[in-house]
Amino acid sequence: MIIVICIGSSCHLKGAQRVVEKLQMLVIENQLENKVILNGSFCMGNCTKGVCVQIGEMIYSVSPESVETFFQNEVLHAVQR
Amino acid sequence: MNDLCTDIGYISLAKYGEQLCGDHVDIIHKDDGTTVVVLADGLGSGVKACILSTLTSKIISSMINNGMSIEECNATIAATLPVCSERQLAYSTFTVFHSLLQSEEVEIIQFDNPFVILLREGEFFEFPKTKIEIQEKIIYCSRIPVQEGDIFILMSDGAVHAGVGKILNFGWKREDIIQYMKPLSVVGYTAKTLTRILIDECSRLYEEKPRDDTTVCTIRIRKREPMNLLIGPPSNKDDDIKMMSLFFSKAGKHIICGGTTAKIASEYLQKPVIPSFNYIDPAIPPVGHIEGVDLVTEGVITINRVLQYAQNYLTDNDFFADWNFKKDAASLISCMLFEEATDINFFVGKAVNPAHQNPDLPITFSIKMQLIDELVLCLEQMGKRIKVSYF
Repeated sequence: MIIVICIGSSCHLKGAQRVVEKLQMLVIENQLENKVILNGSFCMGNCTKGVCVQIGEMIYSVSPESVETFFQNEVLHAVQR
Repeated sequence: MNDLCTDIGYISLAKYGEQLCGDHVDIIHKDDGTTVVVLADGLGSGVKACILSTLTSKIISSMINNGMSIEECNATIAATLPVCSERQLAYSTFTVFHSLLQSEEVEIIQFDNPFVILLREGEFFEFPKTKIEIQEKIIYCSRIPVQEGDIFILMSDGAVHAGVGKILNFGWKREDIIQYMKPLSVVGYTAKTLTRILIDECSRLYEEKPRDDTTVCTIRIRKREPMNLLIGPPSNKDDDIKMMSLFFSKAGKHIICGGTTAKIASEYLQKPVIPSFNYIDPAIPPVGHIEGVDLVTEGVITINRVLQYAQNYLTDNDFFADWNFKKDAASLISCMLFEEATDINFFVGKAVNPAHQNPDLPITFSIKMQLIDELVLCLEQMGKRIKVSYF
């Protein structure tokens, strides 16, 4: 699974850096290094919904506070299936 | 046509207790690449000295710049300077540095300041002087060929007197200054940095309380280095290709700022944008990479930081250690613009990013334009030649 996180201006100001750090941590904690790849992206053109995180075709709006819930719901479920 | 140019930096310290410095440096850059620098030291200190040195340096720089001879300059100064009521004298020393880089030569005219120091390839280089007498003044003239890397140090006598009777018995001699600067001259520091290092040492010897106005002006002969910076997509989408082709056709390094802008460049070059997560400074978004572009960064936040560094560079420059060594996007741009570049072309796209027009975000369109304007102003003060094109 490839997770793309926007690191453009708008998302940066909304906490992209913390989202990246938390996701990196969660991937390691759950020993998913071989299954999940984290990638950055410059502006996805969805700035109003930042921080933008993309999995496949879906773009999610994630904040540093909601990263864990997002990870549980969207990443863990998909990977464990 | 050769591609040498001058990199000039100067700093003055006012005598302790005075608000005005009695030394003055005046610089004139001409479009044909010649430069005139005049360092004058007025008699006494404070307001009187300041007026004398300002008049002297302005008169000489404008006259030399217009092709007049030193005899004529001297006559004008003698006729113009106000006479000091205490001393019945109208007096200001001066050092003139006139670069004629078309012929790879410089002309140096010296009157009563400490002799100019020339460091070439890390060694002191003694250049010949011709002594002439004009209206009882002894003036030394030289005309010498220069080469890349030459460093000229112009000083007022405050520099060689640093520490007299305090830390050093007889002050810091010219010979000591040469020994101090020799190893530093080969490091590759800019004129501004070399000047700062020398003036800091003078200030230290004076125990931070200069007993005379002290001025150092360093001139480094270097090669011209063009640099190109692209920020923001064009206001009309149809101009994408035009903007990109103009940008990439320029000689020199290429910097792209802005996520959307990077995407347009990536489409133009048909090479992917590869972002990274390398947060060296958590406040600055990480750099990206596109094959064929020297540096790819985020836009407004990064440029805002570069502007802070630029404004600081022109004042006390105490962020120097940050941007000169760190590898975050803003530091990298700062190094490339402040140190490497001599000629900078800005390509500014005026498209409004609708997402940025959110009152919660401090990155509106007008702020971007303002950032660029202020940055250009700072870079011009650093002596860079700037061209800005809007799309």
